[in-house]
Amino acid sequence: MVRVVPNKGGSQADDIPSTSGREYLAYFVHRLLEFRKPELESLAQTVGCKAEEIRWRAPAGDVEHSPFWYLTLPSEDAALQISKRMILTKMLVEVWGEGEDWADLTAAIQACPQEVKAPWLGPELTFRVVVESFGSSLPMDEQLELIKRLEFIPFKGAVRLRDPQARWAPLRRRMNGEGARGSLGGVVPARLYFGRLVGSSDRGVIDTYSLRRRRYLGPTSMDTEMALVMCNQGGVRRGSLVLDPYAGTGSILVAAAHFGAKVMGADIDIKVLREGKGGERLTIHSNFQQYGLRGPLDLVRLDTHRHPIRPDLAEVRLHAGRPQGQRAPIYQRKPPPACAFCCNPLALRCATLPYTQPYTLGECLRDLLELSARLLVVGGRLVYFLPATPETYDKAEIPQHPALELIANSEQILTTRYSRRLITMEKVRPYDAAAAAAYYASHPDPTMSIDKLHDIVYEQLPPQPPSSSASSSSLAAAAVAAATEGGGVDGGTAVKPRRRCRGKNF
Amino acid sequence: MKLLTHNMLSCHIKGVRSGYPFLIEVVKVSEHEADFDTDFLKHIFPRINWPAFLQGAEAMGCREGLPEAPNESALEDEQFQKAFHHALLEVTLEEGSLICPETGRKFPVSKGIPNMLLNEDEC
Repeated sequence: MVRVVPNKGGSQADDIPSTSGREYLAYFVHRLLEFRKPELESLAQTVGCKAEEIRWRAPAGDVEHSPFWYLTLPSEDAALQISKRMILTKMLVEVWGEGEDWADLTAAIQACPQEVKAPWLGPELTFRVVVESFGSSLPMDEQLELIKRLEFIPFKGAVRLRDPQARWAPLRRRMNGEGARGSLGGVVPARLYFGRLVGSSDRGVIDTYSLRRRRYLGPTSMDTEMALVMCNQGGVRRGSLVLDPYAGTGSILVAAAHFGAKVMGADIDIKVLREGKGGERLTIHSNFQQYGLRGPLDLVRLDTHRHPIRPDLAEVRLHAGRPQGQRAPIYQRKPPPACAFCCNPLALRCATLPYTQPYTLGECLRDLLELSARLLVVGGRLVYFLPATPETYDKAEIPQHPALELIANSEQILTTRYSRRLITMEKVRPYDAAAAAAYYASHPDPTMSIDKLHDIVYEQLPPQPPSSSASSSSLAAAAVAAATEGGGVDGGTAVKPRRRCRGKNF
Repeated sequence: MKLLTHNMLSCHIKGVRSGYPFLIEVVKVSEHEADFDTDFLKHIFPRINWPAFLQGAEAMGCREGLPEAPNESALEDEQFQKAFHHALLEVTLEEGSLICPETGRKFPVSKGIPNMLLNEDEC
């Protein structure tokens, strides 16, 4: 019996009929789950697709964090361009058929229209088959068997393993029963896909820039994969100007330079910018030299709270002659003037506020948003990390600015108590000082609940019952001794804050 | 420090009104090759304050080939592009200082990095 189930998750008929565009299956890397779709969307826009041309369709099983999602793009060229840069997507596949088992899959492939298949089955095209399996790895003999079972497809070209003209990807998702582990275990049904591989990502680039081999590092150097994703989120491309106002050792700038951007860095810490690592004379520049990248245009020591950027810089509009907010036309080859801020304001300090007055994260982000709202071109993006804890996170607290619009907000879980969110904002209208002033007047206090992180970290634990066993009482005595040493004046009765982590302050 | 950065900076000491552009005191100038990118030049050109750029180029000794008041059409001229690219992105102030035209406050530039931090009494 052959049942043809084209797609359980949302069949073509139920969907809005796709009048234009081509649909591809995105096969994601199964990590940084909330980052994967925004990254592809940002890349699609970077290569010139309009926001309304990009459509997602849920895969079979309809699981939000499924490793497979359907994505409609305006053209195959767009898919090719995107696949050259994507980090969190393994491949984009033009699906010829899918099903719950082999019979389903075979029927679906045979039902796939000739006009889709014909151009790729000709005798002049060399090809190879790439087997991918999600949820369990496939030994070589099983892979070969899988390939053999595909022989009913009338391939006429010659097999070539190196640089074939066409690549085929049977994808296997095996979750139930065997190998049902991980976050999706038992949730996603087993499924087989077959299709033409349009483009696959080069995740090797993450290793090329691996921090393990980077010569100049600091305690907050951004992880390579994340730095690349941040640049993808920011729409960084050849000809962009990228500024990191919290440059540190330049880990985000290196990623931006990899994508061909001209980069500038600023930091308040002159030591990290100028002196680098003593002895070996390692500075930010040595990191660029290490990878053969062109070094940053400039590094400046400044304080974003009282910065020296000339006040009239925003008044020059770059999209002159084009309606406000309109994107560059599709496939405009030359890079449109884009400017991106990519930064990680976690390691913040402010010199102009006296030490007695704390520079809160809320204030820092207000300064950052104000600066980016002014300096970015319309269509330019600000990408930054916002620290969060599950108890205090409130979506409404994400800093806003009248000129900026929130594009993506992806959570990266660090521990059970801490996470950070990659915030992507786009400048959607020209900077208007009056609108900004009005916004600040209506929101006078930029403080966020995460600013109380110190209290969250050193939270007061409820009083512990008096210990009865001998072993724990000696521990308790040691704890009291340590607490009094740490400045406790009021004897052993008051509850001492329990030290949860080594960091003293934010 | 390149002239691109010089063009973006103005003196931010409290109360200063005409702190732009900075005068440049040159101790040492070097040249670093930068990728030539016509699109980037066209994109950055409208944001450049030209009189300030010329003043900076004069001080850094790379004024040659830069017209008094170019318009957008000059960007199509290859000679101009080259001179603009060179002065904007390649000539680097290694050692010296930026001097506020109003107060005379010196912001030191060392190893190519300007120190734009203010003292506590200046902000």
